[in-house]
Order: sequence, then structure tokens, then C-alpha cells
Amino acid sequence: MPSDKLKRGARTGVAVWDEVEIPQRRCALWRFSPRSIWVERVANEWHALALPDGGGRDEAAFVDRTQKPESSQWRHYLHTVNAPVRPTPVLPDRPVVVRPDRALTLLPGETAQFFVEIPVWFRLSCADDRRTRIFEEPICMLSQTWFGDPITGELCYGLATRLHQGLDSIEPSAHLAVCPLAITNDSETDLAFEKICMHVENLSVFRGPRRLWTNRLNVVFKGPEQATQIEIVREAPEFEQGLALAAAARQPSAGWNIRRTFGMLRSFADI
Amino acid sequence: MNIFQQIAAWFHSLSPQVLTKGLVVVLTIVLGLFFVRLLAVLTQRYIMKKSTPQRQMIARKAISYTGFILVLMAVLGELGVKLTALLGAAGIVGIAVGFASQTSVSNIISGLFLISEKPFAVGDVIRIGGTTGIIQSIDLLSIKIRTFDNLFVRIPNEKILSSEVTNITRFPIRRMDITLQVAHGQDLERVHALLAEIARDNPWSLDEPEPVVVFTEFKEGGVEVLFGLWFAKTDFLNLKNSIMKSITSRFQAEGIRFGSARRILTIEGGEEA
Repeated sequence: MPSDKLKRGARTGVAVWDEVEIPQRRCALWRFSPRSIWVERVANEWHALALPDGGGRDEAAFVDRTQKPESSQWRHYLHTVNAPVRPTPVLPDRPVVVRPDRALTLLPGETAQFFVEIPVWFRLSCADDRRTRIFEEPICMLSQTWFGDPITGELCYGLATRLHQGLDSIEPSAHLAVCPLAITNDSETDLAFEKICMHVENLSVFRGPRRLWTNRLNVVFKGPEQATQIEIVREAPEFEQGLALAAAARQPSAGWNIRRTFGMLRSFADI
Repeated sequence: MNIFQQIAAWFHSLSPQVLTKGLVVVLTIVLGLFFVRLLAVLTQRYIMKKSTPQRQMIARKAISYTGFILVLMAVLGELGVKLTALLGAAGIVGIAVGFASQTSVSNIISGLFLISEKPFAVGDVIRIGGTTGIIQSIDLLSIKIRTFDNLFVRIPNEKILSSEVTNITRFPIRRMDITLQVAHGQDLERVHALLAEIARDNPWSLDEPEPVVVFTEFKEGGVEVLFGLWFAKTDFLNLKNSIMKSITSRFQAEGIRFGSARRILTIEGGEEA
């Protein structure tokens, strides 16, 4: 049982997402580099707290109750079922606008494969028959941003990140899901994207031995006056072996998505 | 003879025809009003479930008023009142009443314009004159709003149509403009960078559209700065409170002085005071 591992010592890497049994009056701590999540079981209640954390690596462990931080921000959830809990990495609840660290221009006829790291949220569910969701908490606090014009655009999270062109430059992380993004410029004009709006609520999270992944995205840019075609590949990406579905998409979407690009042509890509 | 016996005796004195007619009238009123109410509720809850609160309210009122008129006409018909004669008389009375109630008619017509023009809807936050509040209902004669200090305000439609109305929550995002003064002689580049940093660190300020920092004017007390931050319309209070605290604390920490009007009094032959 994974919970035995937690008893023996801290879990690291993607193993932090293993199922765990938290006994009465025990405190479990999930530490991620941006934030830590404290969870305690007391009688019929789950007590939870999220705090900023400057820790280095992602890990999960039981800690002594005396180390529990005093805070008015502890939240209490009444849940009578005694069962192990399952932490799940889920994608944010709003689209994410990715701002690449440098302006990129894709020349006509070119196809490029990028990898985008998206911070996941921590969802704690009960591993009972109903899979009751106890709470959700962002691990990275992303800024808020607006994509589109001030009247018809949409509220998104902002993420300044690097568009990786290979996996070597990506450090394995338990709180960042890698989204493989293939962009084809099938137009006569240059495709210069300064920001990309990714509808992550349409994507699932897969768990591999080293990394978290999302569905693969294929984007075909047809020109500034035409809709951009977006394909969400349902199967797990093939960049790592042994991937298993960790969390289904919040809003599953059809395979090809054209409609969502209509209002966003001035920003070139809306995924 | 007590009151009940008197009532019973009165009923006995009535002819069967009158009793039957009375029963029919009572049933028409009770069942008619019940069905009107039922139809209004069902329409609001099921047929117009996905409509806006304003459209639901209009539909409910249209059904209710039409239903009441139909029930009234049915009752009058049952009582033997000739509707054609009544309508003729109503025309004459209507002219008289119309002259006497010009304001009400004006309000009704203004209400119809407001409903068709839709400058706001139920639930919007509007500012009209010195009053700001959430619209509770838009009726034929007036709109009702609840102010943020929980006061009920009724504004006649005629006044709304002839006044400037600001719909604060019409668009999903807004810009909050804060005007501040920094003392003369401060490093304006540093002020600019610090304000950008304050906006970036604030969880309720949007990255895009970008915050605005404009040095607008040299004033007596310092340089006036316009600091504009975009935010989602629901985050007004969170942003307002947090940004004012941040500006104060960060300016203090960085040693940037706010501007304030100063007078230097020089006494001839003496020192400056």
C-alpha cells in the first residue's frame, strides 16, 4: 500500500500523488516548492491549510501534530466516511494565458513542437465509492489576466514561462504538468505569438513514472482571418512510457475545436 | 339572534339563482387567480429558467396583469355587466384620468423605453445622481435599487430616462484609477517602477490590460500620478483595500514621500518659517 510508504518516510516526485490513509489525529503534509498543504483528520472532520513554502523538492510525509502551524486559515470539512484519501493533480479551473519568455515567430509552412509546463492544483478526494471531493487548492498562485477585448474576452490565469522545444530542459516536477503543443503555421503569413490562451479545463492530467502530462495539442494556424484548428489528442502523450490517467478534464471537449478561436484571431492562437 | 344566525337567515332569503351566481363568481376569482399565479410561477421557474432575472420578472408581470384583467372581465361578465358599455365609459373616464395622471403615464412610457433599450438589468450595479446600488426590479413606473448601505431607493422611470446613468457592472472588467501625488524632487523612474511592481504583486490586479502609470501634472504639492489598474468587476473592494495599503507601505519602505501643499513664509529680515 502506498500509505505504508508514507509511514516509512517521505515520498518524493510524482509518488506524492499516491493514495494515503491518514489516521485519526495524524497530520499529513504535502510540500511543493511554491506552497505546502497540511491535512489532518480529527473525528469526522478534515482540517486543511495551504501555506506558501520555499522548500526545494516536492514531497509528502506525516508530521508530528506539534509542528502543525497555528493559523486562522485552517478550513474544516465535515465528512463522516473513514477511508483513505487520494490527492490528485488537476489543471486550473480557468484558461491559462502563457506568455513565452521570448517572442517567437513561426515562419509559413513550419511546424514546431513545444512543451509547456502548467502548474497543477491539489485536489483531495476520499477514496470511497463516491470519490467525494474534499477540497481543491492551487499549488502555484498564478496572476489574473484578461484575454481578448475588454467586452467579450475572458478571465484567465497568467503564466510567464518558457516554451521548451525538448524535454531535456524540463526538470521533472510533481506540481507541473507538461503539455505537448505542436503548432503548424499553415498560412502565408508569419505567426508571431506573444501569448497563447490555453483552455486547460478541456485537458486531462496523466501521471508517468517521472512527470505529469496533459493531452497532446495539435494547433494549425490557417491565417489571421481564419479560424485556428485545435486538436486535443485523447490518448496519453507518447513522450513517456507507462502513463495513466490521473484526473479527467474538468470540461471534456470534442477532438477538434474550431469555435473557440473565432474571437481571438488578433491574439493569433487560442488553445 | 347572533351574527351567525343572521348570516344564515340572509343566505336563506336569497334566491337559488343569486346563490349559484355568487358561487360561480367566487370560484372564478379563486381559481382564476390561482391559475394566473401558477402560470406565472411555472413560466419563471421552468420555461424561462435560463433567462435573465429581468426577463423572468417582465414575463411574470405580463402574465399576472393579463390574467388579472381576464379574471376581472370574466367576473363582470358573470355579474351581467355589459363590457361594451363599460369600455365606452372607461374611455371617457380614461381621458379624465389621463389628464390627471400625466406623470404616471410619462413614467409608464419611460419604463417601456427602459425595458426595450436595456441600459441595465436586474442585478446590475448602477450610479444615478448621487445614488449607487444594485437594481432589485424594473417596473413600469419606477426602478427599485438597494444601496450598499442597505437602503431601498425608488427612482421614477421618467427621471432615469432624463438623467445620466452609469452601469458599473455592464462589462466584465474595469479600471480603477487612483490619483496620488509624490513630493517634488523624488525619483520618478523609481516611482514608476515601484507602482508597476505593486500592481504585479497584487493578486486582484490583472496583468492584461496592463496597469497604467501616467505623470499627469506638476502641482503645488508635488507631481500628480494617475495609477490605473484593471480588475474583474467582482474584485473591487479586495483590490481597493489591498492596493491602498500596498502603496502606503511600499512608499514608506522605499522612502518615497507623498506630496502635500506647503507654504513657505519668509519674514523680511528674519528666517524662513
